[in-house]
Amino acid sequence: MLVDFKFALDAGEVGVFVGPSGCGKSTMLKIVAGLDHDYQGRVARPAGARIGMVFQEPRLLPWRSVDDNVRLAAPKADEQTLSALFAILELTAHRNHFPGELSLGLARRVALARAFAIEPDFLILDEPLTSLDDALVARLRDQITTLVDGRSVTTLLVTHDVDDAIRLGDRLFLLSPRPARIFAELPIRTPRRVRGEAEIAAIRADIVRRTNGNRIERDAS
Amino acid sequence: MLRLLSFAVFLATWWGAALLAGGEKLPPPPAVLAAIVTEANSGALFFNLGVTLARVALAFTLAMTLGAAIGYLMGRVRLADRLGDPWLILLLNLPALVVIVLAYIWAGLTEVAAIAAIAINKLPLAVVTVREGARALDTALDEMATVFAIPRWRAFRHVILPQLAPYIAAAARSGLSLVWKIVLVAELLGRPNGVGFEIGVAFQLFAA
Repeated sequence: MLVDFKFALDAGEVGVFVGPSGCGKSTMLKIVAGLDHDYQGRVARPAGARIGMVFQEPRLLPWRSVDDNVRLAAPKADEQTLSALFAILELTAHRNHFPGELSLGLARRVALARAFAIEPDFLILDEPLTSLDDALVARLRDQITTLVDGRSVTTLLVTHDVDDAIRLGDRLFLLSPRPARIFAELPIRTPRRVRGEAEIAAIRADIVRRTNGNRIERDAS
Repeated sequence: MLRLLSFAVFLATWWGAALLAGGEKLPPPPAVLAAIVTEANSGALFFNLGVTLARVALAFTLAMTLGAAIGYLMGRVRLADRLGDPWLILLLNLPALVVIVLAYIWAGLTEVAAIAAIAINKLPLAVVTVREGARALDTALDEMATVFAIPRWRAFRHVILPQLAPYIAAAARSGLSLVWKIVLVAELLGRPNGVGFEIGVAFQLFAA
């Protein structure tokens, strides 16, 4: 499913995998997170790293409140940290709600809160912005930016959306369709906060060009 | 209200049938009530009922605890499931009477034999139900607990147990009625007291 897969992230860096749906991105994340042991190769995580993960589905416990869901994963988090986190993610009013009462967008944010509450050394985000409406995506993207920049945590994010990738990442990895292979690595030097629309458009054009190039190369072979 | 009505219909049917069949074969409700009052006054009713209920409680607790543990293990670990399955099928199909008789032969007409026999009758049903629950556990939540390194006991309590709860409740509900039924047979065959024993005595005297 994945072949010839090699990448490294610097501490505090946000790496983004961009690739078509079903190319094996989630499998790669599972391997990195230590959930899938059925692979050949080597994964080096910082020793003793706390991992925070946001799955594609929120994966909250339906029988625990929002607050308890977060506290279960992060028993050491103090009230001050938690309320600050809930405030950034606009969840303060929902702390006593149960996951069944939340929309997908809200549940996703609870999952984010849970991942950040443990103050992770390594954050894994699997399509955190998928199947949400545009206005919400923009807000949630800002919230993720705030949280990631505030803690400078090494992050691995997977998305099929080029725009999200450019706005959130420090280093982009472009993936081919199955069997997935990294065909280009694109560092972005400008910090997230100050990336202008012109620059984003330029990077997007570059990605489109490389993707097409990859396709022609594949078709030729 | 509807329940009350249904109960009234039951009483009326009983009474009508008693009138038709005659008091010897089917005593009418007032006669039964009178017998209950007499037995209660002598203390025998509460003594025998108490003894039987104590056996029910013991056997039930034993079977549920063991059954839930074994069922969980078999639902989670393939090897345990493969090894345990033949035993389970054997126990499931072993008639209650056979278990009780064998228990009395091997362990004598003792309290331990009676409780064990009753528990063994209930055990496989608890195993099967809880195993079904363990098989239906959400792996997505398991992965979540693993990634977040939630300690085993906490994960069991907050992630696993709430998912198993409906299955455990179902096993308990069917189990309680089953144990209550079987305990009477065990008492009838080899105990000197309890509701089952009293029924046995009455049957031998052929007095209803």
